[in-house]
Amino acid sequence: MKHHPLCSDCEDKITPMDLPIPDGLKQEWAVSESRRQFLGRCGKVLGWASLATLFGEASVRHLVRAAGSNLQAGVGGNTLGLPHFAPKAKRAIYLFMSGAPPQVDLFDYKPNLVFQFDKDMPASVRGNQQLTGMTSGQARFPVAPSHWPFSRHGQTGTWISDLLPYTARMVDDLTFIKSTNTDAINHEPAIMLMNTGNMNAGKPCLGAWLAYGLGSMNNNLPTFVVLQTKTNPKENNQPVSSRLWSSGFLSSEFSGVGLRSVGDPVLYLEDPPGVDRGTRRKMLDAVEEINRQTLAEVGDPETNSRIAQYEMAFRMQSSVPELTDLSKEPASTWDLYGPEAKEPGTFAYNCLLARRLAERGVRFTQVYKRGWDVHDNVVGMLPVLCQETDRGCYALVTDLKRRGFLDDTLVIWAGEFGRTVYSQGGLSQENYGRDHHPRCFTTWMTGGGVRPGVTYGETDDYSYNVVKDPVHVRDFNATILHCLGIDHNKFAYRFQGLDQKLSSPVPAFVVQGILG
Amino acid sequence: MYGVKAGSCLIVVALSISVVACNGHEIARRLDFNQDVQPILASRCFSCHGPDPEMRKAGLRLDLAEWATKKREGRRDAIVPGHPEKSELVKRIESRDPHYLMPQTALGEAKPMGAYEIAVLREWIKQGAVYRPHWAFEVPTRPAMPHDIGSDPWVKNPIDSFILAKLKKEGLEPSPEADKPTLIRRVTLDLTGLLPTPDEVQAFVADSSADAYEHLVDRLLTQSTFGEQRARYWLDYARYADTYGLHYDNSRDIWPYRDYVIRSFNGNKPFDQFAREQIAGDLMPMKNLDPLIGSGYVRLGVSSNEGGTIPEELRVNIARERTEAFGATFMGLTVGCAVCHDHKFDPTTQHDFYALSAFFNNIDEKPFNDDRPVWAPVVRVPKADQADAYNRVLSHRSQLQEKLNAMQFDGGKSVGEWLAFHKNPARAVSTSGLIVRLRLDEGRGDQLRNSAPNANAGSFKTTTMKPEWGETTWLWPDFRMQSSTRVLLGQTADYEATHAFSAGGWFMFRSAPFHPGSFGTLLSKMESTEHDRGWELSADENGTLTVALVHQAPKKGKPKKKEEKKAPAEKPLVAKEPFNYPTPQDLTKKDLASNKPPEQLKAEKEEEQRAKAKAKAKAKAEAKKKKSEASATPDESLTEVSVRVVAVKPLSLDNSWKHIFFTYDGSGRASGVKVYVDGVQVATRVLQDNLSQASIRTDAPLQLGWRNPDEHPAKDARYQDIRLYARTLAPDEVNRLPFEDYVAEIATHPSAEWTHDQSHIVTAFYLSYMDPTWQRIQREMAYLDEQLDRLSAGGDLTLVSSEKPTISYAHVLTRGVYTARTERVEADTPHFLPPLPADVPRNRLALAKWTTSPENPLTGRVTVNRMWYELFGTGLVETTEDFGIMGQRPTHPELLDWLAVEFHDSGWNVKHMYKLMVMSATYRQSSKANSKQLARDPSNVLLSRGARFRMDAEMVRDVALESGGLLVEKIGGPSVKPYQPPNIWEQVSYPTSDTVRYVQEHADSLHRRSMYSYVKRMAPLPNMDAFDAPARDMVCTRRQRTDTPLQALVTMNDVQWVEAARALAERVIREAGPLPEERINRMSLILLARVPSPQMAAVLEKSFREMKEHFAGNPKDARSLVNLGETRRDSSIPEPELAAWTMVASEMLNLDETITK
Repeated sequence: MKHHPLCSDCEDKITPMDLPIPDGLKQEWAVSESRRQFLGRCGKVLGWASLATLFGEASVRHLVRAAGSNLQAGVGGNTLGLPHFAPKAKRAIYLFMSGAPPQVDLFDYKPNLVFQFDKDMPASVRGNQQLTGMTSGQARFPVAPSHWPFSRHGQTGTWISDLLPYTARMVDDLTFIKSTNTDAINHEPAIMLMNTGNMNAGKPCLGAWLAYGLGSMNNNLPTFVVLQTKTNPKENNQPVSSRLWSSGFLSSEFSGVGLRSVGDPVLYLEDPPGVDRGTRRKMLDAVEEINRQTLAEVGDPETNSRIAQYEMAFRMQSSVPELTDLSKEPASTWDLYGPEAKEPGTFAYNCLLARRLAERGVRFTQVYKRGWDVHDNVVGMLPVLCQETDRGCYALVTDLKRRGFLDDTLVIWAGEFGRTVYSQGGLSQENYGRDHHPRCFTTWMTGGGVRPGVTYGETDDYSYNVVKDPVHVRDFNATILHCLGIDHNKFAYRFQGLDQKLSSPVPAFVVQGILG
Repeated sequence: MYGVKAGSCLIVVALSISVVACNGHEIARRLDFNQDVQPILASRCFSCHGPDPEMRKAGLRLDLAEWATKKREGRRDAIVPGHPEKSELVKRIESRDPHYLMPQTALGEAKPMGAYEIAVLREWIKQGAVYRPHWAFEVPTRPAMPHDIGSDPWVKNPIDSFILAKLKKEGLEPSPEADKPTLIRRVTLDLTGLLPTPDEVQAFVADSSADAYEHLVDRLLTQSTFGEQRARYWLDYARYADTYGLHYDNSRDIWPYRDYVIRSFNGNKPFDQFAREQIAGDLMPMKNLDPLIGSGYVRLGVSSNEGGTIPEELRVNIARERTEAFGATFMGLTVGCAVCHDHKFDPTTQHDFYALSAFFNNIDEKPFNDDRPVWAPVVRVPKADQADAYNRVLSHRSQLQEKLNAMQFDGGKSVGEWLAFHKNPARAVSTSGLIVRLRLDEGRGDQLRNSAPNANAGSFKTTTMKPEWGETTWLWPDFRMQSSTRVLLGQTADYEATHAFSAGGWFMFRSAPFHPGSFGTLLSKMESTEHDRGWELSADENGTLTVALVHQAPKKGKPKKKEEKKAPAEKPLVAKEPFNYPTPQDLTKKDLASNKPPEQLKAEKEEEQRAKAKAKAKAKAEAKKKKSEASATPDESLTEVSVRVVAVKPLSLDNSWKHIFFTYDGSGRASGVKVYVDGVQVATRVLQDNLSQASIRTDAPLQLGWRNPDEHPAKDARYQDIRLYARTLAPDEVNRLPFEDYVAEIATHPSAEWTHDQSHIVTAFYLSYMDPTWQRIQREMAYLDEQLDRLSAGGDLTLVSSEKPTISYAHVLTRGVYTARTERVEADTPHFLPPLPADVPRNRLALAKWTTSPENPLTGRVTVNRMWYELFGTGLVETTEDFGIMGQRPTHPELLDWLAVEFHDSGWNVKHMYKLMVMSATYRQSSKANSKQLARDPSNVLLSRGARFRMDAEMVRDVALESGGLLVEKIGGPSVKPYQPPNIWEQVSYPTSDTVRYVQEHADSLHRRSMYSYVKRMAPLPNMDAFDAPARDMVCTRRQRTDTPLQALVTMNDVQWVEAARALAERVIREAGPLPEERINRMSLILLARVPSPQMAAVLEKSFREMKEHFAGNPKDARSLVNLGETRRDSSIPEPELAAWTMVASEMLNLDETITK
């Protein structure tokens, strides 16, 4: 058996010639393989590796591994060999509720709190916790029970706030984790921790890890797509930043690509005015011909890669507009998602787009919805936030289900932490505020890999401390990886001499209790 | 003869090994620990048997000889030098038993070594298991030139000797010199970041003199674009950006630092000086502001002002960020790995890390940046026309400062003489009447000792939440009340208005973001639920001090103003503050607004006007209400009966320590209250003066930081040495309280017994209060500071460093958690590197000097290696940021050392080093490869040919702009905002951020060099991001070099490239003849410095004809295309023709060769 051309210590020797890929691509492989002796130092290989995206997921991981490993990785590194086991989910959609939704008003039902209205939360519950600078000066910590009634839904009889009528309809499909908890108490570190497994910037996010580890399933679209929901100026929109979808120390080609609702859906996608497709094709033909001359003359494999990237760019120019063209969606789509989904940038629109991306084999889609940071006026703002998101979530899950995609798509709904049961600022019968709360928050998942209709973990009577089955962010991420066929302990990338992991360095555990 | 068969070539360790092993050679040589052995041990063994004790298994440590060969009880010897067969290590790695076999992962999974690795370890033990210190930690010495090479005609300078020696060893030949056009393009791009002009190319090609190339290089080195190009790299190493990077991600003023960097490179500032200025410029002598501006380096990292952030967490993170950045850029070490635990591979311990971080933990700044572009300390850079006058004053001031530093340095001696002369020259304050003295020097726990001799209660316990100890040092490591900490002092000071008393102490406020409530009650015995009866010392949000003695006050109401007595003018200070350090410049509203987009400014102005109108309306309504109230029956209980005295001048709202004290004479009159700040009585105003003999007694306890019950807190305030006397202290007593009293106490002990903190205080006291020279210089400097303020009026502000006068230290934090403090460590350099001189102050200046000292093994190597990386695309050590044990080994260790020594011996001459490198035959080689080179040196590690790689993002854009003649030649200045697609900032930013909206600028701002483009960390420019430009969140010492479809989209479709293509088209139409081939030749000459090959020309000509035909038939398309961008097109050229040439130019701009160097 032949050695993998890029893998000096490769044990499972795969040749792309054996893979079910188009002949044209095999030819390109042959060309590049004949030049494999050009490969070597990190920079060059990185570029070259991206050529391999043409081959799809099976080969990219090896190429990428070779690219990512600098010399010392050859000593101790092992091959990625992904997935580690048969994945339940091939792709994932992450609905990220930035700002932190109040679990006690939405999912974590605490009926007895009504009797505690305006009473001080016992100091024993709070313990010696470090509070944020926003409420730590408060003289009192009066309990603010949820303003909204809860009711039971589905065959599971799950309690859900009346604010979420659509989510209520699908509770039997969802897996709730009421004991999610984190180390960070402020947005910046918490949102980094949730997305990258580390409070400080510089680590790859979940999507980048998946793009690196599992590669692409579509030759014409990015592997990892980020969708931003238009902000509602009335809400308290905590910022997000490109480092949340950054590839950290992994090659930057694994960063999330923003699909935008304003301007070009992908930046610089559209040809300039006056340049039609035919003109672009002619221009590219000329560029390619000259680049091939350069390749023949200088023999730098980087040139070969560039030729391929220009072709992929050309294909993206048609595949992305096709993706965002919703004109062929059937009427049933609009019945499900509602009329808001027609307006680019709404949460419902992004959910619909997420479904279309999943259909087209995009590995990881992350939808950001900002505005959940309800320090005050919970009564005024929460209905708005729920109205903006509730139906989209339901529509996405239902749509995936009816199209047969839910079985191998993992859908995740989470914010970066929870909110306090005690009121921040003034508490009245009419209104209250809630501060950041890291010790417990509710998240849900559904689809490939998780068991529907489960509620996992419990909190105390004040929705303040986890009393049963805690799920730390690390465990949460480890479980997501598990659903995608990845053993988080084995999924490492050597950087600065360490096997860096999404879940490291403290031990993390897959939440067995929610697996399907 | 040592002979071991290498079994396979499965593992590539490092070049020298792979060559030996993969060719199936025997290991027939003396193994080098650093080259051959350590990489295997490090990657395979150190994670469990390395420096980190927490992870260490079986008590075995393999990174140090004495540990590896040490007897371990009940265990077999791991390494028996000379005897592999007796060494447990060898048995384990050769075993086939999965439970016995090593190495294993942390989870116990066997990960057997490759045959080659086993062979090397076996052989190494056989050869005696000789350890050597890690190569990068040994001071480089100039290696001998490889003999038998010097006479080779290919060799142009010593670099080539080393390169050639290695090539020969590998049986390779170097490549011939590149042709002249290639050479001038390469060297111009490398040294200036821009293309050579066609004229320059032609002149160079025509110059047949022997030193034509050297002339070219010399000319390029004098161009100001050289400094820009070097600065562009340096800004990556220094993590320069225009915003803070977290939460609001607001703008900040620090672009003068960028100008400083450009200036430094262009002036060929010696690198040691350049480095020292950045690490500690604020502590260096100055002839102009450059060192101070350079010290902005320390403060370039991300910082936050997020509302709920806990100050201590922020402070720890900031020091950590700076330490990691320093480690990566100057030491080439990943010191950050030791934040949580001892480094797993390098000898960096946690202690080392925090001792290093202590250098950066002593900046005179608030941890919150207040979301303002000027986060003090800042300096105002004088305008050009005032610069000379300013610099004269500055150098004078600097000389005085040097004198002070010297006096401070000799302080111990002066103090000794002073003490010897007078027995105890400091006069203590009588302890008569002292009933409370909370020194707050316990350092831990929740029990506070009352050390007053006449104390009723010996100690007090804090409640609700434990206090924080030792975050900063003043007289001693301090005490901070957590926001919920309560210190109840019971019925102490339960006085009537007729009782004389005095109280106060050292305070430090922390103004947390959005929470000016960090100002409030300092010391209070007041009952606030009913009538505020009692007494209190407090400060309000503006820093105004109030002393109140209250019988009754209207609840929730403002005290009624009586006629104000004119306070006497403030007396001049009798003594200056005991410590001297630069105060933040006075900041005006205008300063704060400088970076905001005009729209936002307008909106804010309108908002301000609205607020004014609203306030006016409110005042009107209130007046009306008052009138109606006045006509109603007055409520007697609302009449205020009190004495209220406020200080006229508010305290500055920084985080400095202030000694605040008041005395009261028991007269029941406002005139009986005196307020002191730092021992000096301050002017006061009387707000209320009708207490007379009315009772002020209350059951409320005396309390620190809060009024009873929990109200009006001074959140997160720090306290030291809080005192209460049951008498009126005389002014001279209060004057002695802040320091002298304490110094008198210290001086009762022999100086040999003093702690570091105590010596520091005594010296500071002696100098400030007792030494007339010191006082004279202080006065002189105050005068100079006024002049400097005047001479810099209207100048730009920039963030700088400023050292606090206290001792630099940090705490070792368990697992890096900011609350988990263990040991307090003073600033120091890592233990495995040369030590600091014993008798220098441990501050950043000491660190800066250490960094550039000849004994430092890292700085020189790390720096020349990055120069190499810039020119050759890859460093001699590939991991430019990591010279530690897990970093790459140098491909040419002798060459690296030679360069490092040469750099040092040349006086850290930067231009000399670049010249040396580009003059080498190695650099000048053609990048075309022959088949033998490809087979033997596939990745060009041996440099058997010239380097060829894609240009960095900024260069790709600059070259496009330059080719079309659009590039604006202007050096320096504030950042600019060129074209950017819509909604990049808007979709991620906090709505009230001052960078929420990208307001594109026009004209010249569109076409400045890319290094001047505004960097918003949360949303970097997308076209630069596509080409791997870093977001500058952290140090980047080598960029990734990817190749993605997004890059193609940028260069094809971004308006900047389309506009540049049109400008290039216009330029060739203007400059070349009418024939298509003439224009194509010209285009090629501009971009590629050469005439095109016939095949290339043919492709382009054919394309031109097709395009022309297309646009002739589609005139509307032609019009759309040529009118893109804000520069006006040349209307003399017919649109279809211009459109066709634009497309051809765009093709040229998208060629692999164009964007490759």
